[in-house]
Amino acid sequence: MQARSAARPRPASNFELYSWFFMRVSAIALFVLAVFHLVYMHIVIGLDAITFEVIAQRWQSPGWRLYDMFLLVFGWLHGTNGMRVVIDDYVRPQGLRVLIKSVLYVLVFVIIVLGAYVIFTFES
Amino acid sequence: MATISNLWNAVSYRGREGQIAWMLHRASGVGVFLFLTFHILDIFLMSFGPEVFDTLLFFYHQFVFKLLIVFGLYLGVLYHALNGIRVVIIDFWPGMAQHQARLWRVQMVIFALAYVPSAIYMLLTMFGH
Repeated sequence: MQARSAARPRPASNFELYSWFFMRVSAIALFVLAVFHLVYMHIVIGLDAITFEVIAQRWQSPGWRLYDMFLLVFGWLHGTNGMRVVIDDYVRPQGLRVLIKSVLYVLVFVIIVLGAYVIFTFES
Repeated sequence: MATISNLWNAVSYRGREGQIAWMLHRASGVGVFLFLTFHILDIFLMSFGPEVFDTLLFFYHQFVFKLLIVFGLYLGVLYHALNGIRVVIIDFWPGMAQHQARLWRVQMVIFALAYVPSAIYMLLTMFGH
């Protein structure tokens, strides 16, 4: 009988460990950031009351810009990593899997750049 | 065919709370991800000025879209957030894994208490007048 630790293959990299840890840490951050964002926009302000003016007013404050930036980055990294796991689970042919994940990463890069651009450069 | 039989396996597999929690977590996660793609594109329109942004807001004021917000996005985010905290507790708090099913039931009570009144409030402000 081999010892259990010797029988278990050592992973080639620690990527999945960091990924697992990041998901938990960002989950705690997003629990506060995303739930508050939804409640604030949809219960305090209300969907029909959201206009250009309201958001422009909000971005007068650097604090809100920072809040939105955190939400953007944490939300997208958490969501992308989740999608990566889902794709790995369901898309079996390797070529297709690589293709779909490549599209995902390009999409996410573009989205984060667009979001960061509007948050930082917006002037009313 | 493979997809249909996989789907049937998923539904008929009697994994109870843990499996249901996992399936809902996955479905809500993918759903929120898809919404966020549109959400960043619409907020990017802020850089084109009030005319463009406010004109395109009509999309968000559609009846169907409002229903999707309350019964899709808000429901999905709230479930995913609460279940995510349960996963964090199970992973970081030694011994909690064996209570995962009871934790899920507690979580669903919290979910109902938070979701039902706030969803009714949202619907009333959306359609009440």
